[in-house]
Amino acid sequence: MDTELSEISTFIHNIPPFDSLPKQVLAHLVRELSINYVRKGDDFPPKGINEPRLYILRKGAISCLSADGELVSRLGEGDLCDAFIHSDTNALSDKQSTISNQLKVHTDEDCLIYSVEATVLHDIGARFPSISDYFSQNSAQRLKTKMSQVNEEAILSSTLMNTEVSNFYQSPAASINAKQTIQQAAMQMNDEGYSCLVVVDNDNPVGIVTDKDIRRRCVATGLATSEAISEIMTSDMCTIDVKSNAYDALMMMTAKHVHHLPVTKQGNLVGMVTVTDLINNEGHNAINLSGIIHKANTLTELKEISHLLPKLQIRLAKLGSSADHVGKSISAITMAFTKRLIEMAEYKYGQAPVPYAWLAAGSQARQEQLAHSDQDNAIIICDSMKPYDDAWFESLATFVCDGLAECGFIYCPGDIMATNPKWRQPQKMWHNYFNAWVETPSPKALLNSCVFFDLETIYGDVSLLNKVRKNLLIKTKNSTLFIAHLSKNALNLRPPLGFFRDFVLKQSGKHRATLDLKHNGIAPVVDLARIYALSEGISAVNTIERIQQAAGTPSITKESAENLIDAYEFLGMLRVEHQAKKLMRGESADNYLSPKEISKLEREHLKDAFKVIKGLQDARQSSY
Amino acid sequence: MPSTTLANSPVFSWLMGYEVKRKKLLAKAPAGPLHDFLSVPLPALDTPIDKVEILAVDFETTGLDAKRDKLLSVGFITLKQQQISLKTSYHQIIKSNAQLEESNVIIHHITDSQKEQGQALSTVVEALLKALAGKVMLVHFARIEKQFLTEACYYLYGMAPVFPMIDTLVLAKRRLDKRDVAYDPSELRLTNLRHKFHLPEHHAHNALNDAIATAELFLAQMSKTNKDGKTTLKEVLL
Repeated sequence: MDTELSEISTFIHNIPPFDSLPKQVLAHLVRELSINYVRKGDDFPPKGINEPRLYILRKGAISCLSADGELVSRLGEGDLCDAFIHSDTNALSDKQSTISNQLKVHTDEDCLIYSVEATVLHDIGARFPSISDYFSQNSAQRLKTKMSQVNEEAILSSTLMNTEVSNFYQSPAASINAKQTIQQAAMQMNDEGYSCLVVVDNDNPVGIVTDKDIRRRCVATGLATSEAISEIMTSDMCTIDVKSNAYDALMMMTAKHVHHLPVTKQGNLVGMVTVTDLINNEGHNAINLSGIIHKANTLTELKEISHLLPKLQIRLAKLGSSADHVGKSISAITMAFTKRLIEMAEYKYGQAPVPYAWLAAGSQARQEQLAHSDQDNAIIICDSMKPYDDAWFESLATFVCDGLAECGFIYCPGDIMATNPKWRQPQKMWHNYFNAWVETPSPKALLNSCVFFDLETIYGDVSLLNKVRKNLLIKTKNSTLFIAHLSKNALNLRPPLGFFRDFVLKQSGKHRATLDLKHNGIAPVVDLARIYALSEGISAVNTIERIQQAAGTPSITKESAENLIDAYEFLGMLRVEHQAKKLMRGESADNYLSPKEISKLEREHLKDAFKVIKGLQDARQSSY
Repeated sequence: MPSTTLANSPVFSWLMGYEVKRKKLLAKAPAGPLHDFLSVPLPALDTPIDKVEILAVDFETTGLDAKRDKLLSVGFITLKQQQISLKTSYHQIIKSNAQLEESNVIIHHITDSQKEQGQALSTVVEALLKALAGKVMLVHFARIEKQFLTEACYYLYGMAPVFPMIDTLVLAKRRLDKRDVAYDPSELRLTNLRHKFHLPEHHAHNALNDAIATAELFLAQMSKTNKDGKTTLKEVLL
């Protein structure tokens, strides 16, 4: 390759999808480039170029406008302009040729522009599908490719390769003295809840015994349970060093057909790792934490445990868990905290006078909570309650909400909490609330109440909420006015257009330094999913479940539903990664992503996600 | 007609009537690369500059004295219809026996061993003349390319050719002189001029990179001075 063109090569090589090209092909592409200088305000493409080309901005800025003058994107250094890549007669797809015919480009600054003829790109694309895919696929297809890659990588790297055994093992290992009897071993297993013990002699591990050994080598053979445990132990046990990677541990277990491995540190026994620890480790973490929460007896203990929550979120993110998984794990733990606090309150104030249920609203109900979000909750009480019964429920609400606040779940700024008498009502009042919202909707009332359309029972009598929900869904399904108002609110939150240099580009053409992942990405999808669910009478509250169940209904096609889930998962992934980074630096986990934080390719994928969301928002808008 | 300041300059008189001179030289030139080069007519002085085919050229040399120093490498690229096509780019290191001085190696990064793998001066000059035929040469700081090419042709063919030139340094200098404000001569360096026009950083002192950098600078200069597209070759010639 000509080293003298290395500068241009390096520049092109940094731009996806060209980053995937081998050196020689890149060199060929570079030699096919042309350089033009376009003055601010001049025609674009430059005069004299008639054949379809891909343009690459080396310096300067251009704006792409739709036929009616609406800003579509603004491009700066290193951005690709593929608006003129398809000839009118030989378009790759009809849709794209219409788009490119409509696009107008305005030169905002003096530009130095590289360009390559579409035919050259086409030839390269024939050998390298990553190139042809990039330019022939639409946003939704590109996003799908990306998400399936992400999922594959998650499985492959599946974290076990990259994680030390030290992250998984339980310490200390349960052990038993070699002189103790088989029966004593079985009793210890029962008491401590272990299926495996390390047998020690003068503190030296000499073997391992599992409950299976007791069955196979003792009970089945008629050996007396008064015999020493050393009689039935496996003495040539394998161990694994705490620094080994978890994948090796799993492989060793598979090879030796064992489910338990004693873990050593510099030769000394420090703990035990089981096959379930490794395979299901993420889930187990949340479950373990829930178990500890359940055993906590005081608020102080709960508070201690709550400090683990950000750590859990970091770890889940590091392990490559999907945002869906992280949200479900964190929500499960918030649920455990809430339940434990309710139990404490019931212990303190006595049993409830009438049946009731503690409800979670918003992100917790949707199982999409992240560490230290604010609390949204309510109480639904059996209609048999007497006015004086409320005192008990007020005490309960105060105890639980204060407790949650102590544990880092800040009070809801909108006062959507069970401590607010308005949200601590008998079932019939909840019926009334929902009837009013649905039958005589006003956009403002809906804005404040839409959090109640995502409601889940955390504790208590599940039937109370289920009845209310059943009625509600029958009503919403048939109320076009309600759905129209809800849609109007939801469409206020629009994703941005994309990026320009290191800024976020808004529809208005204005620039922002950061992207609000929550309000300009995730919330619009959550809102759409809620509208689909309420229009179609779907009782699910989790966003992905709502979209999945709405797929193929008049609200959304199967294909669009898949695209929307891809967009949602991609945004969720960026959010989880962003928050993990912040938490690891000891900062609070916010939703403000700076474009500088993410790669060029991720920006492209984000742009695609925005496009998918915007398309479905537009479809919603045009139906009302 | 030339402006009064230029009419008196020796450079201009050298340029005056380059077509006449080309034909005269063609009659004397021996058969071969130089003859071929001289047989292609040059664009008329009143051709709009946008329509003129240009070859941006840069030489790396062992020093500034064309009589004593050696040509190390040649880079060039075509500028046609205001478009630079990388397909037309050429870069070649020249094989010679001259020992490279360390201070110089630091600048152009051509080492003795690279030079050994280079091609003969005759091959490279032939390639340059072939690409340059019918075109106007574009350089930054014309003295080096003018003197070294002239010297090389004397050495190879026994006579010097005529080749009209555009110098981006001179174009910039003319503009600065017009303003009648004192300026730092370093402002006229290729890198600094590119910076002024907001062109990207480039890796200087590689013959092809510098040729491309010069061509880009020329496009930027013309975007400022040739807004109506009426500027002729005559107005930008050295």
